[in-house]
Amino acid sequence: MSMVKVEDVHKQFGDLQVLKGINFEVNPKEVVCIIGPSGSGKSTMLRCINRLERITSGKIYVEDELTENRMNGKTVEKIDPQKLANLCLDIGMVFQNFNLFPHLTVLENVTIGPTVVKKENAKITEEHAMELLEKVGMADRKDEYPARLSGGQQQRVAIARALAMNPKVMLFDEPTSALDPELVGEVLQTMKELAQEGMTMIIVTHEIGFAREVADRVIFMDDGVICEEGRPQDILLNPKEDRTKEFLNKIL
Amino acid sequence: MLTSAQWTAVWDGTLITLEITAFAIVVGCLLGVVLALGRLSKHRILRALSWFYIWFFRGTPLLLQLFMVYYAIPIIYLESTGSQLNIDPMVCAFITFSLNTTAYLAEIIRAGIESIPGGQMEAAKAIGMTYGQAMRKIIIPQTYKRLIAPVGNELVMLLKDTSLVSSIALSDLLRTTKTMANASGNWLYYLYAAAIYLFLTTLLQLGTDRLEIKLGAYEKR
Ligand SMILES: Nc1ncnc2c1ncn2[C@@H]1O[C@H](COP(=O)(O)OP(=O)(O)O)[C@@H](O)[C@H]1O
Ligand SMILES: [Mg+2]
Repeated sequence: MSMVKVEDVHKQFGDLQVLKGINFEVNPKEVVCIIGPSGSGKSTMLRCINRLERITSGKIYVEDELTENRMNGKTVEKIDPQKLANLCLDIGMVFQNFNLFPHLTVLENVTIGPTVVKKENAKITEEHAMELLEKVGMADRKDEYPARLSGGQQQRVAIARALAMNPKVMLFDEPTSALDPELVGEVLQTMKELAQEGMTMIIVTHEIGFAREVADRVIFMDDGVICEEGRPQDILLNPKEDRTKEFLNKIL
Repeated sequence: MLTSAQWTAVWDGTLITLEITAFAIVVGCLLGVVLALGRLSKHRILRALSWFYIWFFRGTPLLLQLFMVYYAIPIIYLESTGSQLNIDPMVCAFITFSLNTTAYLAEIIRAGIESIPGGQMEAAKAIGMTYGQAMRKIIIPQTYKRLIAPVGNELVMLLKDTSLVSSIALSDLLRTTKTMANASGNWLYYLYAAAIYLFLTTLLQLGTDRLEIKLGAYEKR
């Protein structure tokens, strides 16, 4: 079984080809880091997986179930909306800019998903939310509004918010890129703990040290294609492709 | 100084002014949200209909709209059904001012919704919310604070504009004082109207200022 599978995915914005035939598969409990230059289509790839963008053509599977099958911008196979909604709930996402809901407290940010989407019992939701806030080290700030938190704290709350829906796979889009350097560590630590607990994770990141330590596999994307992929020590220390070498030289 | 009968008349006139204002702002806010969502809709027909509505009500004089509802509707009714329609001027005022305010509020609300960063809708969708859930729980609540000032402004305009109803034989505040001034030849009666309008608009201004501070509390660092 695979958690996420992407088959020959193409994505165009108007005339701009952003993804040019992407194939990859992520197994349960696997941690995959995607690296690559800015504009290479990494964010677009993640956004296509949880349908914030619709692909132009290709297929996407979540837990071996088809969620997208499109050709030339048209849906080939219609998926039952209820089934699709349930599969999408299994995907959590963490954004570069946190995107916490500013009008809700930390606790409300975490409980609103289960309350509104799953119509869960308020007491159970709150208990679960507090456990998650405990886990990301934000329980003591539960009544604060996001504007009063540092970037690192906001991102940890955003992770808890995503976890509150009990996802089976978590997508991270450069979760530390908007942070001051001294705040990067606390977020990476939270993510590392999540990985150790066996969460399936797809992480777009420029943190090479983190990728080496935590990733099971590293994918290097450039210009809308996967240029090279493999074990972190191979890709990050002994890349075969010139483009990978060039990229690593630039950011290290 | 006003006699007690005159005070009663002024009071009744003020009530008419306030009733029309209150009715129109409530209906305007509710329909305004619907129309704003129509303007932002993916569906071309909904977008076009909302656009047309706003275009019409913002592009024609309010007084004309009032006349159309008051004089034109009974005529159209008579021609199409053959029977008389006795339309209550107060109902006309409620309808006209609600429809007109809706158009202005729709644009204000649309701008409010558009000012919320796109990441908010995406984050809501990423935790599984539908468009409707995201609008109700995430996007629209965030516009409240930003809407207070422009809606307050609209409310002040509305309150003053209700004086147009004197032209369809409603004894609102302005018409009441005008009758007194005409009867006595003393223009000072108008000062009472001015004072009451100023009192009410000032109250609205103070109220919206306080509400704005209260609703924006979460933005404080
Ligand atoms: N909504 C969009 N409309 C048009 N172009 C877009 C849109 N989103 C991304 N792009 C373009 O797609 C390309 C890839 O973007 P992105 O996936 O964000 O790259 P990365 O995350 O690797 O930096 C860029 O050239 C970007 O300008
Ligand atoms: Mg990106």
